[in-house]
Amino acid sequence: MSHNRSNNAERLEQLRTRVKIDRDGVNSISSSDFPFHSSNVYPEFDSIEIFRKKLKIKVIKKSQFEMEFDLIGVDAAIANALRRVMIAEVPTMAIEKVYIYDNTSIIQDEVLAHRLGLIPIKVDPDLFYFKHENERPTDMNTIVFKINHECRYNPRAREDESDPKQLYIGHNLLSSSLIWDPKGEQAERFTDNPIKPVHDDILIAQMRPGQRMELEAHCEKGIGKEHAKWSPVATATYRLMPEIIVKEEITGDLADKFAACFSKGVIDVVEKEINDEMVKTAKVVNPRLDTVSREVLRHKEFDNKVELTRIRDHFIYTVESTGILESERIFIDAIHIMQTKCSRLLLALENKLKELEDERNMMSLDDV
Amino acid sequence: MNNQTSQGPPPPSGPLSSATPRASDNAPKMQYNCADCGTENEIKPKEPLRCKECGHRIMYKQRTKRMVQFEAR
Amino acid sequence: MESVELMETENSEAEQEPPTPEIIIDDILDFKTDKGTIPDPRSVTFTIIGEDHTLGNALRYTIMLNPEVEYCGYSIPHPSEEKLNLRIQTTENITAIEALSKGLEDLRTMCDYIKEKFIKTNLKFDKKASQDEN
Repeated sequence: MSHNRSNNAERLEQLRTRVKIDRDGVNSISSSDFPFHSSNVYPEFDSIEIFRKKLKIKVIKKSQFEMEFDLIGVDAAIANALRRVMIAEVPTMAIEKVYIYDNTSIIQDEVLAHRLGLIPIKVDPDLFYFKHENERPTDMNTIVFKINHECRYNPRAREDESDPKQLYIGHNLLSSSLIWDPKGEQAERFTDNPIKPVHDDILIAQMRPGQRMELEAHCEKGIGKEHAKWSPVATATYRLMPEIIVKEEITGDLADKFAACFSKGVIDVVEKEINDEMVKTAKVVNPRLDTVSREVLRHKEFDNKVELTRIRDHFIYTVESTGILESERIFIDAIHIMQTKCSRLLLALENKLKELEDERNMMSLDDV
Repeated sequence: MNNQTSQGPPPPSGPLSSATPRASDNAPKMQYNCADCGTENEIKPKEPLRCKECGHRIMYKQRTKRMVQFEAR
Repeated sequence: MESVELMETENSEAEQEPPTPEIIIDDILDFKTDKGTIPDPRSVTFTIIGEDHTLGNALRYTIMLNPEVEYCGYSIPHPSEEKLNLRIQTTENITAIEALSKGLEDLRTMCDYIKEKFIKTNLKFDKKASQDEN
């Protein structure tokens, strides 16, 4: 009887904290961490305090442009909001207006302008203001770049040369040809880190001798919601931590087959003593690496021996920056933006209530 | 893809710095390239359409230095 | 652009106020009122302008955590309109306005905790990484 009860409690706990991965679909998806969802007892604790205690963050790895970290103990609503803000609402600077004086290359003006817009510009967007409509460009909201480029024959090329690299000079127009033209106090403000594209080797156009390009490009501050060129991330994603529960020892050759059902490194086949005998046994060593392909559920021999779940409040974030902002900065900026949204709405609510009170007072005056 | 926002001559406050005069500033004479030999020709109004080098009668007009503004989208 | 050059001289002074016009906060939130009162303060549909699922779902979640809230849901009536409807129904102990206000404050506090912990963890990671290098 007591065994049954603990079993039930276990099952309830799993329902509460895990997403179940079945052969043909997922189950127990939605979170149930709401008052009165599974009990009719009035919650004693402040849910925010519980959140603070449960919250855990682990940084897993970082490289030049990418960062992986775990956010544990939050609801999908919060995790998803932060992901969405990182993609669509963290501002950066990008080329927005292009003034073309000359372009005799085969890239059409509008295509060229579009390509220029997509080049990430390495500069801290916090040092600039948004340029609102009808506002004039100033050194505080606009960065000016210039391109003045011409392709020529290489006079020293061999007569029978066919390699364009040897034949021509300047036939590849690269992002390094974007020359920053500091305006106002920009030269002083950015002496330590002059403004330039993140990458010097982005191909903008290919050219042939006699073709010229002369233009001026204006960078403005913006957000990814307006146009993807302003998104600070190449991608920001999360997935739930996979969990593989082996309910019954899987031994012998089956262990090898079991291991082959998962990504490399997820399952180890180890020697284990069972009934005074050393046998090959499957052991889960690193479920994080699993892609949750569900291959293991296709094989009859593993029926009822394995269970696949994902931990509902364990988010594995991957933030890949375009190189303008560091990944960690993008996440922190995203949190700030969420907070600003809250503060603005609280202020709006306050104003609205004040307005209501004034209206009420006016009404009572009319009555008198 | 019609995101060309303005095509008129640069406004007085255009990105043109007033110190550097441009080709379009001075005269209505136009540059053409011969379709056959590629030689640059200057043809004034009412002049015969003919390449001064090879006599070919097909000419391509060169792009002027007039500023065109685009939105980078 | 001449205008850039023009503005340089006007705007490069440090004491100049940021040219950003003040955001009109009054227009981002609305709900139905009648002669200065709320018809039923325990069930209100708020209309939020300029927000989407990002705030909508997160806010719905924090408001639902409140045990005095009987119902909370949101919808975006049309995808091409930047508009969000948030419906709150409460018990007799609080009003929908109070529930919204608490939800917003809770969301802000949650973000604070995440930020704090993230910055701390990140710093620790960086420190360890630089130690490992040496």
